[in-house]
Amino acid sequence: MKLKTRLILFSLAVLGWSGVLLYFYSSGRINHYLAPDFRLIAFAGGLGLAVLGLFNLLTAGQKNDCCHDHANEDDTHDHDGGDMHPVTAVLLMIVPVALSVAWTRDEYSAVALGRKGLYTAPPSTLSPFLAASIPALTMADIEKSHRMTSDGFFEFSLMELFFSSADREMQTLLKGLKVETEGRWIDEKVRNADGSRKRLYRLFITCCAADSQVIPIVLEFGKMPPEFPENAWVKVSGTMHFLLEEGATQPVLVVNRAVAAEPPFEESLMRKKIF
Amino acid sequence: MTDLPVQRLLTPMSPDSQQDFALAFLSILFEGLPFILLGTLISGFIDVYLPAGTMDRFLPKNKFFAILVAGLMGAVFPVCECAVVPVIRRLVKKGLPVSCALTYMLAAPIVNPITALSTWKAFQGQGAEMMTSSRLLLGFLIAAAVGLIVSKLPLSAVLKSQLVESLKNESEAEASHQHGKSCCDHSHEHDHHSHEEPVPDHRLTAALRSALRDFIDVAVYFSIGVSITALFNTGIAPGAEWLDSLAKNPTAAPAALMGLAFVLSLCSTSDAFIAATLAKFSWGAKLAFLTFGPMMDVKLLFLYQTVLRKRFIFLLAIGLFFAIGGISIFWQHLVFQAK
Repeated sequence: MKLKTRLILFSLAVLGWSGVLLYFYSSGRINHYLAPDFRLIAFAGGLGLAVLGLFNLLTAGQKNDCCHDHANEDDTHDHDGGDMHPVTAVLLMIVPVALSVAWTRDEYSAVALGRKGLYTAPPSTLSPFLAASIPALTMADIEKSHRMTSDGFFEFSLMELFFSSADREMQTLLKGLKVETEGRWIDEKVRNADGSRKRLYRLFITCCAADSQVIPIVLEFGKMPPEFPENAWVKVSGTMHFLLEEGATQPVLVVNRAVAAEPPFEESLMRKKIF
Repeated sequence: MTDLPVQRLLTPMSPDSQQDFALAFLSILFEGLPFILLGTLISGFIDVYLPAGTMDRFLPKNKFFAILVAGLMGAVFPVCECAVVPVIRRLVKKGLPVSCALTYMLAAPIVNPITALSTWKAFQGQGAEMMTSSRLLLGFLIAAAVGLIVSKLPLSAVLKSQLVESLKNESEAEASHQHGKSCCDHSHEHDHHSHEEPVPDHRLTAALRSALRDFIDVAVYFSIGVSITALFNTGIAPGAEWLDSLAKNPTAAPAALMGLAFVLSLCSTSDAFIAATLAKFSWGAKLAFLTFGPMMDVKLLFLYQTVLRKRFIFLLAIGLFFAIGGISIFWQHLVFQAK
């Protein structure tokens, strides 16, 4: 393949990737894919790819790209030759991206959520890295750091309720406490013979959606739960309990009230920003 | 009855699987792309603007210290594993000791600021400082050890016979005439008068063309690697459950992830973003993945054959597998015992 054609082909492939990155960033859809501090980096990457692609596209006809001549016959190096045929390379770049853009719904299916921990027993111990980042809590800390609703419920993140299963100190503080939290509504598929339970979950993203983990808690209604569409955003208020189920401590919210809610600005829980 | 892996592979993806694959694929792609771009831009500019003799000037005369310094040269001349093989081929031809060249070849993709930054960024919340420092240290130690072993071997046991012959011929030729000036990180023994003064705008074009070529080379493997990872990550790939079942085995987990790194052939500037998603695996297994991959993978097998003997490559692969696996298991044990 001629050098000019190859440069044009490669530049178009790079511009294609750039377009996808810039579109996802400008439309805000990137929020479903990346933690906050990666989004601006992705945007800069998209711009950088655009510059690289455009520059090479516009200079594709320019000759003498190598700043020396190849007088030595033994010197057969090729500045622009890749590992494989250029068309194969471009197809391998473009096809998976094009299919993914066509297929994505910006969220996981229930099957993938199950794989990412939707129905897994909560942790009984914290990982050393996570444990080191969580400070000890007192009731005074809770009162200071958690807002109380007008009807007396402390607003808690689902993350705090979930990880309390691995923290005895936290369990003591939370047991019997009236809390309110929000998350996405989904069926409870384990230990739910009488159909009185549902699950509330959110994704926790460390860097990107691929490394995300489902953070769920069990909702106990004591009767038939109200009807919400699967994955709908719901705000629930009730009393926290910790039940020993199949050898694991399970955080269970005995629900007083469940109402439909607007999705929060950040649908997934994120680790704190680094920069 | 559970589907056989082959049946699952041949079955078209369900809409749910397509949706899951797409989310995982795009998220890893978006996360890693800027770092690949940064790496290839730097590599492109080094290719065009850095004279070939620059590296030689940094190396001490003492063989042992020269090997140690070669292991750290990636900090000054950062190149990924795809770019490093052509570079060391040229450097060996220029007279750089083979032991130093191989040390640089194995260490540079890991012991460099771009890889350090991407590892640190990818492992935020998962012990980023510990993983980054362990990766750099292990990469350096393994590369230096290989360099020291190679320094005791005859050239013919390490290099391809054609390269050994060409070195002999060139050393004879260079005795009468050597021309070291180069502008594209490779030298050519050519007529002085045929080398034109580089025109600045041509050099920029050359640098960005080099960056584009490097980007495409890396992006293709990254795209394949991300596709496979997304299939495993979402449980679509046959064997994903089997791989998961090894995750808690202290010996099999590092071996499995080194095997995965070998197959995925990821770039060292972006592999940390894949490793960080392997949530079920231990920290030590991820360290093995991140150290073994940049030193030995499918694409490197092909690239190494342009410089090294097949027998040496085979022994190198076995040695790296056991050394990195063993140290990662020990390191995991040491770090978590201490905690």
